Amino acid sequence: MTKPQKIVGINPKQSFHDNARILLPQKVAEVYSWEHFIRDPEKREANNSEILHNMRISVKRLRYTMEFFSVNYDIHFTEYIDTIIELQDILGDIHDNDVVLETLTAYKNSYQSTDMLGIDTLITRTRETRNAEYESFLKRWEHLTTTGFKQKLLDIIAS
Amino acid sequence: MATAIEIKGVTSDKTLEVCARLIIVGYFREMMAHKAGASEGVDIKFVHNMRVAARRLRAAMDNFVDCFEAKPFKRYYKQVRTITRTMGAVRDLDVLIARFERERNALSAARENTEEQSGIQRLIQHLQYERENARKPMLTLFAELDNSDFETQFLTFFKTSE
Repeated sequence: MTKPQKIVGINPKQSFHDNARILLPQKVAEVYSWEHFIRDPEKREANNSEILHNMRISVKRLRYTMEFFSVNYDIHFTEYIDTIIELQDILGDIHDNDVVLETLTAYKNSYQSTDMLGIDTLITRTRETRNAEYESFLKRWEHLTTTGFKQKLLDIIAS
Repeated sequence: MATAIEIKGVTSDKTLEVCARLIIVGYFREMMAHKAGASEGVDIKFVHNMRVAARRLRAAMDNFVDCFEAKPFKRYYKQVRTITRTMGAVRDLDVLIARFERERNALSAARENTEEQSGIQRLIQHLQYERENARKPMLTLFAELDNSDFETQFLTFFKTSE
């Protein structure tokens, strides 16, 4: 798992709200530090499980941090948390399927028996589901990009 | 997924340090509240809830590290990290077992291919065996936490004087 980026500039003696404005943009930046793979067609095509996993962890950290600081913002902030949860769920489904594929493949390789009926079917089905989820993630991300989600989120954080 | 808990006393105008203490103590208590159920091992939701609370606690500690004295903080952080990882090994197997049980049941409900059902059932048994093995370090860790008075020490360090 990738380490969280070191938070800088917070002041423990300043108000919770003032520190939210310093801390939250850094968590947003951590999520977007993985965006390069979506923008690069070659990396996007590679469909890299490890990068998606790291992005999922960063999204989760952002979600938890937004929840900690939600008391500082009005009800609209919750809508942004919901969008982050939605992204986390999609990335979580992709990761679950990657783990399932890894488990099934390792199991199949360890037990070279003829009794692998069902396992091959599961591998095929899981791979199809996983790739469909990846496409769905890319579409969702693209939609958020075209609707200016990142800037709107940073604006509400700064409010 | 388990939702965020309401942390009483956290307000915009309080200092970060006071709020950080409240959040860390709140999620620590939430994490420990699931320990007995996780230890029992009958309902998988306890391991899940304890792990999610531990992850939120870690996220809080990552964010608020600058509010605390470095050396003791590091010691508590390492313990929480160990708890998260140990719970994770069990939880991952719970998720896999539940997933493959659903796949097996779907085949069974459709009265399809009994050989495939048997193949998946053998996989489930293999994972259940691994789960029992993954629970051993978790139970050892819980015993260590109890014997070292970790809970009291953690709460003493992070509690707010407010």
